[in-house]
Amino acid sequence: MPTEGGFLEPEDEDLEKTYRVQQESILKEVDLLSSRKPFDMILPVLGPYTIDYTSNGRYMLVGGRKGHLAMMDMLNLDLIKEFQVRETVRDVAFLHNEQLYAVAQKKYPYIYNRHGTEIHCLKEHGKALKLQFLTKQFLLTSINSFGQLHYQDVSTGEMIANYKTGLGRTDVMRVNPYNAVIGLGHERGQVTMWKPTSVKPLVTMLCHNGSVTAVAFDRSGHLMATAGLDKKINIWDLRKYEVLNSYPTWAQSLDFSQKGLLAWSNGSEVEIYRDLGGHNYRLYMKHRMMKGYQVGKVLFRPYEDILGIGHSTGLSSILVPGSGEPNFDTFVDNPMETTKQKREKEVHALLDKLPPDTIMLNPNLIATVRAPKNKEKTKKEIEEEMEEAVESAKNIERKKKTKGRSKPSKRAKKKEEDVLRAKRPYLEQSKEVDGRPDKKQRIGEEVELPKALQRFAKKPQS
Amino acid sequence: MPKKPAMRRGKPDRGPDKKRRHGPRLPRAMRQALDAMGNGTSRGSDDEEVSDAGAEDLYEYEEGVPEEEARKNGRYDDVAKYEYEFDSDASGADDNVTSEEEEDENDDGEDEEKQIRILEETTGMPKEAFSAKKKKQPLELPSQPGDGPVTIHDLLDNIQGKPGYSKVRKRLQQQEKKTMVVAAPLPKVEREKLERAVTYKEANKELTKWERIVKPNREASTLFFENDVNLGVNTIAAIANKFEPRNRFEKRMNEITQSNEIMEAHRNDGAKILELNKIDVEDVRERQNRLAKMRSLLFRHEMKAKRVKKIKSRTYHRMLKKDKLKAASADFEADPEAAKDYAMKQELKRAEERMTLKHKNTSKWAKRILKRGLSVQDEGTRAAIAAQLQQNALLTRKMNSMKDDSSSEESSDDDEDENDSEAKILNRGKERILKVLEEDKEIPNSGVFSLPFMERAMKKQQEAAYEEARQAVEEYDDSLRKLEDDSTERNEDSIKVTGKRTFGPAKNLPKDVNKKQKLEESENSDGEYDSDPAQHFGNNEATTKKDVQLGTALLDDEQNGLHKSFDVIMKNPGPKTTFEVGMLASDSWKTVKSSKGNGNSSVSGITNKSKIQASTVVPNPKQRDNNPDSDSDSDEEMVEGFLTISDTKENYELPSQAELIRQAFAGDDVEAEFEKDKMEVLNEENPEPEKPALVPGWGQWTDIQQKKGLPSWMIKEHDVAKRNREEALKRRKDSKLKHVIISEHVDKKVEKYLARNLPFPFTSKDVYEQSIRMPIGPDFNPAISVSALNRPAIVKKPGVVIKPIQYEEVNPHQKPDEPKRVIQRAIPHPNAKKVSAKQSKGATSHKRK
Repeated sequence: MPTEGGFLEPEDEDLEKTYRVQQESILKEVDLLSSRKPFDMILPVLGPYTIDYTSNGRYMLVGGRKGHLAMMDMLNLDLIKEFQVRETVRDVAFLHNEQLYAVAQKKYPYIYNRHGTEIHCLKEHGKALKLQFLTKQFLLTSINSFGQLHYQDVSTGEMIANYKTGLGRTDVMRVNPYNAVIGLGHERGQVTMWKPTSVKPLVTMLCHNGSVTAVAFDRSGHLMATAGLDKKINIWDLRKYEVLNSYPTWAQSLDFSQKGLLAWSNGSEVEIYRDLGGHNYRLYMKHRMMKGYQVGKVLFRPYEDILGIGHSTGLSSILVPGSGEPNFDTFVDNPMETTKQKREKEVHALLDKLPPDTIMLNPNLIATVRAPKNKEKTKKEIEEEMEEAVESAKNIERKKKTKGRSKPSKRAKKKEEDVLRAKRPYLEQSKEVDGRPDKKQRIGEEVELPKALQRFAKKPQS
Repeated sequence: MPKKPAMRRGKPDRGPDKKRRHGPRLPRAMRQALDAMGNGTSRGSDDEEVSDAGAEDLYEYEEGVPEEEARKNGRYDDVAKYEYEFDSDASGADDNVTSEEEEDENDDGEDEEKQIRILEETTGMPKEAFSAKKKKQPLELPSQPGDGPVTIHDLLDNIQGKPGYSKVRKRLQQQEKKTMVVAAPLPKVEREKLERAVTYKEANKELTKWERIVKPNREASTLFFENDVNLGVNTIAAIANKFEPRNRFEKRMNEITQSNEIMEAHRNDGAKILELNKIDVEDVRERQNRLAKMRSLLFRHEMKAKRVKKIKSRTYHRMLKKDKLKAASADFEADPEAAKDYAMKQELKRAEERMTLKHKNTSKWAKRILKRGLSVQDEGTRAAIAAQLQQNALLTRKMNSMKDDSSSEESSDDDEDENDSEAKILNRGKERILKVLEEDKEIPNSGVFSLPFMERAMKKQQEAAYEEARQAVEEYDDSLRKLEDDSTERNEDSIKVTGKRTFGPAKNLPKDVNKKQKLEESENSDGEYDSDPAQHFGNNEATTKKDVQLGTALLDDEQNGLHKSFDVIMKNPGPKTTFEVGMLASDSWKTVKSSKGNGNSSVSGITNKSKIQASTVVPNPKQRDNNPDSDSDSDEEMVEGFLTISDTKENYELPSQAELIRQAFAGDDVEAEFEKDKMEVLNEENPEPEKPALVPGWGQWTDIQQKKGLPSWMIKEHDVAKRNREEALKRRKDSKLKHVIISEHVDKKVEKYLARNLPFPFTSKDVYEQSIRMPIGPDFNPAISVSALNRPAIVKKPGVVIKPIQYEEVNPHQKPDEPKRVIQRAIPHPNAKKVSAKQSKGATSHKRK
């Protein structure tokens, strides 16, 4: 790897704690470029803010609850477009790149382009509370106030799926980046996972005793973090569906960074946890906003050591050393993308678009051999079973009957019949296993046919 | 031959029998060949025929000579031939055969012989008989035409009395006695069957022959259809063959090498070449002498070098070095390349010197001497040390390097005395400090700084800074003076200039002087200057300056935090705003709280907290104007939105009683519900078997029946169903996970992405699944292997005509898989049989599979 990511490393682990390190002291040490990245933006008027980054981390979308929308280029901190929709904005989400983004507004979600022009109004989604975009499938997903989950293909405009969760209103939704399965957190402490081709959730987990407040998935897709009103944050192994770790804290929002740091916010506090091996998450950094600020959303910026925070009076971003992936693959995401590359990538992405059916819990399943419908028994097993059946058939006690019906000869005959009857199904099975055709259908040489029919008999080929 | 003229003349006469005679005929074999070539040519060759065609334009059907008659390769068995002959004899209408024979007789003896051979073979009689018969036939035959067919007896009469006649007659008689039975032809069905069997065998042979060619093509992952691009001659031998001498030298060489003598000598075992290569005795002697001379010279030179190497005299070596240098310098003037080389070498040396500090009194010897004191040493040692230091100075002196990137100042200073530049730098540093001091004096007389305690603090700080700066200046002066002492009187004036600015003599030298400076001082005292002082002094200057600032900062810290924060803000303006606004915001927050306390606790009062806050924070009237605007737009919504926020966030601080209870008892409720849900899902996916029950009225006729209860088979069935269900539930993935429901529902849409059975070359499922794990996309593979991995089954350039497959012998022991299968070749194989296009198409379509 060309560059290595680093973390805050204390010289003496017992005396120095990384979470005591303040932003100011980090800021003193970092290079000039990085020192420009953290900022605080005080926007107290238009209410709590939510943010979203493009997948390459270059652009940030800001949505104020009271209708303030802005898009920024984070590389040179340029404001690209800022405007007011003058109605509630509940969530914002970038589509495949910064050219288009979706905004969940008062009644419907809308799609705007880079210049703030309204492109679509997605009325079918209803009053969406949360939006997510599945990049590889080009699906915009929303959960509305009736608990309905919608999948819409943004390249064709087709509504792919519309499912009722039946678990009440929720605004906790997150996409698993590994398999594009949508995770929803519900009131009764359940987390459900959905794909567009199944009416029922793939997995339903009871994660908390209170309602679920936040869900986040690791980049590898094997870890899930959930926060609930029962004052718990659980970290789950999604391969075994088991709790790996549990922490007694509240959290309003959770996010995994690309390198596996876990950030959660609680009131005006943001805490970042780091995996010390074996999913043992320890407090790594702590950041306290001004008292009275309520942090609404924490989101790590991809490919940068930055955590974006949307809170009740604006937004800020802080430095979190070691959070972002230091080596970007330009085939996947390029933060320094030129316009030409962007165009190329858009076309490629559309060509490589995956159909919605390919979303499944284990995407490695694709192209493997289909499992046989019912497991076939081996010949040996069949034989063993047959022997057992024969034994049991032999041991059947017959009733004593009168009038010569229970003569020894008759008894023997009946026993034989029983045995035969017990054997028959197994014989048939073994035949199937062998693949030998049924003998009845073959008109063999050994059967002497009448003269007139002999011409129809099969003859050995000359 | 009486018939011949008649034939030639009277073609119309012989109208009824429609058979025409042509003039002198070619031998049969030739005619067949001509027929095969085409009708036109055969006609053109015949003069008479041309005239005939002009006379009457009739279509003539000329019967091809049957193969049996031609007796090509004895393929036809005797019986068939016999029948044929018999037939022709029996019909009797045709005496062509004989007439033809007569005609041919004149032309060539070959046909005669052939005829005889045929007869001999058929009848088994000796040759003489036929040759005799032939002679007689022309005499005999004309008398017979009207009578009827010629029988074998007629023929026999002619050879009566010849040797072997009796034998022939006997056999004939025997044959006549026996009635001739010709076997009835086989029924059509049988015949066809036989034919089919034979055809099948033949076809099979014909097709299996292709297998070796077609099979690898079928199995090949990719087929390339391309025409071989013939690049023409490319071997060295071929090029050499075409060589033509052009210039004189080549021609001369060619003359020699291609001369007859040499060529011949080559051919004759090369022995003669030696002869040609004769050398004079004198030549050889001369050469030997020359070699000996050279050798002796070499030896002498070697001896001399050895001797020179042994010389230990320093003076000698010094002289030698000087000479060398001189030579080198002369060289530099001559060519710049050498100069550059030398410069590079010098640079390297300099770098090495700077790294090792070899000549800077670091050696054991030098240390020892220094320890004892230089003054104690004798003249020679002192000189040596001085020389060493001189060398160091020389080596480490900043050079006018080849790169020319050093600043102009430095380069201009180069020729000046080093002391001078040093003094300059010192002066500059001093000036800067003074400037800083002056700047510090400016007191901001606004805002917080105008407060009395702030003023006091500022003064204190200033004093401290002033003190420090003075110390620094004094240090500078000190060092300057040192410089002055050591150096010559040349830079007196510069010292004077600095002297004017000094703050008097150094009373108390501060103890906390930088170690670096101390070092330098010591060096200065030694009279050796760092030849690169600019850096050091620059550093010094920076550190002192920083010290000043830090000092102030420290003071601030002690005094009050507020000032400090502002100072920090000055440095990094980013967080500054946070602090400011943060403070203000917290203030407003407090105000809000207080308002709450006032009892103004309506819902809107709480929820619109941030609004109030905003109004307090933002004094800008414009924004205020905006605020109510947005409110009016989405008033309802706002309230609702904030209510939700308060649900999740604010209620933590003060949850209602009901909420608390609900939360407290949430646990039990949720788990039970989930369990219920899970059962429902399980029942849906594996429904519980129905309880066994009889149709009302059935089996309830008698007491006994009722006592018996349900029939045993029903109970058994139920049990089995129950067990099955339990097993199914046990098999589920979530059977052991209490808190998880994993849907077992099989998605039919997914099934189309799965392989129905193992693809062809694989025999094991694991191997196949391992193989598809390797990504084939461009993201994971180099460009070359991507194209190889994703190559289509058939590669064909546009415009290439796909030719039918050609047969050729394939070596069965060849390696089975070649990397590339090229199907076509530009030049078809001469022996190759062409197969119809249809067949090849079939083959290619197979390949595609």
